[in-house]
Amino acid sequence: MASVVPVKEKKLMDVKLGELPSWILMRDFTPKGIAGAFQRGYYRYYNKYVNVKRGGVAGISMVLAAYVLFNYCRCYKELKHERLHKYH
Amino acid sequence: MGHKRLNPARSVSHPPFHLWGCGESDSPESEATRIPLSPTQVRSATPASVWTPAEQKPSLGAAQGSLNSQREPAQQRPLRLEAPSRSAPSKGSTSCQRGRSGRARLHGDRSERRARGPSLDLSSGTRGKESLVRVNGTQSLLRGPCLTMLSRVVCSAAAAAAPRLKNAALLGPGVLQATRIFHTGQPSLAPLPPLPEHGGKVRLGLIPEEFFQFLYPKTGVTGPYVLGTGLILYFLSKEIYVITAETFSAISVIGLLVYVVKKYGASIGEFADKLNEQKIAQLEEVKQASIKQIQDAIDTEKSQQALVQKRHYLFDVQRNNIAMALELTYRERLHRVHREVKNRLDYHISVQNMMRRKEQDHMINWVEKHVVQSISAQQEKETIAKCIADLKLLAKKAQAQPVL
Repeated sequence: MASVVPVKEKKLMDVKLGELPSWILMRDFTPKGIAGAFQRGYYRYYNKYVNVKRGGVAGISMVLAAYVLFNYCRCYKELKHERLHKYH
Repeated sequence: MGHKRLNPARSVSHPPFHLWGCGESDSPESEATRIPLSPTQVRSATPASVWTPAEQKPSLGAAQGSLNSQREPAQQRPLRLEAPSRSAPSKGSTSCQRGRSGRARLHGDRSERRARGPSLDLSSGTRGKESLVRVNGTQSLLRGPCLTMLSRVVCSAAAAAAPRLKNAALLGPGVLQATRIFHTGQPSLAPLPPLPEHGGKVRLGLIPEEFFQFLYPKTGVTGPYVLGTGLILYFLSKEIYVITAETFSAISVIGLLVYVVKKYGASIGEFADKLNEQKIAQLEEVKQASIKQIQDAIDTEKSQQALVQKRHYLFDVQRNNIAMALELTYRERLHRVHREVKNRLDYHISVQNMMRRKEQDHMINWVEKHVVQSISAQQEKETIAKCIADLKLLAKKAQAQPVL
């Protein structure tokens, strides 16, 4: 269906399902683009949870939790052997 | 014959003495009367046109640097300062990162905000040379923070943390998309909005509120909690999460952290807020001092300008003084002339009188002398005899009268 705004200019959540492939192909996959994406993501999180007048513990606790989770996933292969039961 | 009095008449050619001033130059209705040396009455001059600060050009823009007023034409915009967000356990890198961003906000320079992007690595605490050169490279960066702010501003009117995505579909594709511009668009040059008061809401310190709102329409209030419990039980039962010795240490550590945060979180927050307030107060003081300085300069300038209007009083006073001095010397000389002339004339009068007196005396003496000479001896005897006879008669008369 025709959209008011060109596909190129839409955010991911506004893209309709049929337009998804074209949207993905449109993305900037150069190193500069990827770095830019990381920057944007970082600043999005930063400005929402950290760069406020009265922040809380949520700002870094979410980062730490994500870090913990990431490391657990990384070590899962070795941890599998420390299971208490063999069959689940 | 007395002395004659002289009244020297005033010469008509002497210009009339009048005083300058009395608002003469200001108001035309003051007449130049002959005021015999009375003190000039100073009238209040008409006030010069008041130069209000509202008419002042925004020349405060000259002050680059620590104050944010350069981009705000009116002086009443609140000073936007970033405060380092407080958190109970502060990691070294994040604190320095916060400090950097704090300084960036404090300077409030747009270019610096844009240029904050490239310093991604948290370990390097150096500020770097964040100059305008970096603007071109990091234009794309701007969308992120701007987007967050804009979207927050747009959607805060609706639900507090409603999923923008779902509601956007309800409102219609065109309306909201106009406000959500993709990051490849041009960065807006509007001044930054002030820092938000609180961060995004987070439940249990881990899960953002948006997730709960996302599930609310389908599962109600308890949905996410049930989901969480189910997930935990699933991981435990399938041993996707393996219970090891580290589990207990993790439980202890997390329990300790939760206790510390719950107990001391508020007080640490207040302490950090106080620090921020001190910083803000300092800067505000600087700003107020600068404003006051400039205001004092304005007032001084205005008073100087007002003084210029009153310069004529100086000249009037001087003119009056000179006129009075002239009049004084004139009268003095007049008086001297009068005295001198009177002197001369008195001299002549006294000479005349003296001559007359001398003549009289001389004539009298001469007449007496001749009369005395003309009396012969015979005549003298006869006169004496007659006198004696007269005296006898008089004596008889005198004797006769008291008897009566």
